[in-house]
Amino acid sequence: MKKIIWILSFSASLLALPFAAQAAGGPGIELEPAHNNLRHADSLQRGAVLFSNYCMACHSAKYMRYNRIAKDIGWSDEQVVSQMAHGLNKVVDEVQTRMLPGVAMDVLGTEPPDLSLMARLKGTDYIYTFLRAYHQDENGNWDNTVLKGTSMPNVLEGIQRHASSEDYAQAARDIANFLEYVGEPAKMDRMDLGWKVIAFLLVLLLLTYVLKKEYWRDIKH
Amino acid sequence: MSYQDQPQTKRASLLSWLDRRYPIVSTWNEHVGEYYAPKNFNFWYFFGSLALLVLVNQFITGIWLTMSYKPSAAEAFNSIEYIMRDVEWGWLIRYMHSTGASAFFIVIYLHMMRGLLYGSYKEPRELVWILGMFLFLVLMAEAFMGYLLPWGQMSYWGAQVIISLFGAIPVIGPDLALWVRGDFVISDATLNRFFALHVIALPLVLIILVFMHIVALHKVGSNNPDGVEIKKYKNEAGLPIDGIPFHPYYSVKDSFGAVFFMIPFALIVFYWPEGGGFFLEPPNFEPANPLKTPEHIAPVWYFTPYYAILRAVPDKFLGVVAMGAAIAVLFAMPWLDRCKVKSIRYRGTSFKLLLTMFVVSFVVLGYLGTQPATPELTKLAQIFTVLYFAFFLVLPFTSVHEQTKPVPERVH
Repeated sequence: MKKIIWILSFSASLLALPFAAQAAGGPGIELEPAHNNLRHADSLQRGAVLFSNYCMACHSAKYMRYNRIAKDIGWSDEQVVSQMAHGLNKVVDEVQTRMLPGVAMDVLGTEPPDLSLMARLKGTDYIYTFLRAYHQDENGNWDNTVLKGTSMPNVLEGIQRHASSEDYAQAARDIANFLEYVGEPAKMDRMDLGWKVIAFLLVLLLLTYVLKKEYWRDIKH
Repeated sequence: MSYQDQPQTKRASLLSWLDRRYPIVSTWNEHVGEYYAPKNFNFWYFFGSLALLVLVNQFITGIWLTMSYKPSAAEAFNSIEYIMRDVEWGWLIRYMHSTGASAFFIVIYLHMMRGLLYGSYKEPRELVWILGMFLFLVLMAEAFMGYLLPWGQMSYWGAQVIISLFGAIPVIGPDLALWVRGDFVISDATLNRFFALHVIALPLVLIILVFMHIVALHKVGSNNPDGVEIKKYKNEAGLPIDGIPFHPYYSVKDSFGAVFFMIPFALIVFYWPEGGGFFLEPPNFEPANPLKTPEHIAPVWYFTPYYAILRAVPDKFLGVVAMGAAIAVLFAMPWLDRCKVKSIRYRGTSFKLLLTMFVVSFVVLGYLGTQPATPELTKLAQIFTVLYFAFFLVLPFTSVHEQTKPVPERVH
């Protein structure tokens, strides 16, 4: 009994250990949960198209290649070229920005970051909230409540103005979802594999336990 | 009849051929087959073999990582993402390595805790403890240098902060920091030398120290939760009555322990590789940028207790001294603890209270080291720094007069 308590408390402490922190976003900003789901291929596909149409004018996702995206989110090579690359790239190309080098510095005064790892750096909630946090003051100047004074324009303005609020939220959610996928394309693979590994280990645990019991039968305490 | 005339099976003859040229049988017997360990090992005694398991994991995954990793400031970050995306099973190898680093410290801290609980550092095992402390020291250096290699923001700035500590040493400090970095800031030169040390020099030292740690242990024999020497009572064959051969008894038991450990390990690798931002810190998903300091620089969780001690001392140089002393003082444990009774089971209240205070201080300091240094938290860190050191300062006096319980002659 004592042993079991030890073992349980050890496992609990292992898992409880790093539960203290990790809050993304700036100080005092309430992030809305994105509620995105990597298993929704249609959301990922919509997110990929939105990313291509609304983000890639300035941003890249240079650690991804078009054919990897196609394979992972359920497109053919032809589809990814037409949907995301507009026939401008080959399937083996990296997802680079369409902006010419140096233009961003001249026009926006900054270099737009690569978005491959943005979801891992800031979290999907941050991306979802940030995309929807644009507002206009009485003089018509846009600002963002999550990242004040950002050089990034309100790219989703058209959707914000003309679509329903659900569709607007869904667009931001799809982009966040796509960026979560881009942040770690193997994420679903590892989740699919993990439980099999653990199931195997549980069987092995039982076998090693029985083996230990058998060997130790003759040891008197 | 000489051995050549004996009828032998093929396997036995191969073994005897080898044994005449290399001490296979005697080495096996001395360290495995006839190494007698106390029969009453409990849960705490898994962590030695688990440390070895994690070491092997780090070696194997590390070797495979080096096959695709590029140790240069221009390519390091990209090559990690290449491993995560384009290398077959690269993500698994990398997560096993990064999770393994944290697992190593969890296992080692619990392994050291076992030593404190049952007095495993005491006569005649002082050298086992000291070799273990050297292992701990080298492990910290190994982890620190490995952490620079992904070349993320936290890699860069964490290394910048820690190496700049050398600069606080009077007279030689600035030149020493320059010598360690090989440059005026953390740069390509630093990354290259850290890579060399991380993959060759320090692993080599670790292997040698592990070997010596085990040789020293097998010379004096293992301690146990009762803290009594099993060699005192031997049977007619000269074998300890309360000892059992390591193989097969502890080899099967440790196999169970290994699988038991692998389950939470696999859970983290597959479902929680960032460990809530403690095993992989979010700022490290951004490439190192020498021109942009992160707003909050914190070392990885296993260094935070010492980092909290460093920050608790107002003077930078004295802070470095305190941090060094916090680790160095552990080397002296065999002589600071003057109580003859080994196991906490039979020790007095003063030791139990002191040890609790020490563990609580360590954990609280570990938490404080992850937090930004506000005046209130710094005050708290100062209090627990004092308590941390109080354990080592008070122990020599209380342990002499301790009201201990009678120790049994043989293990339970």
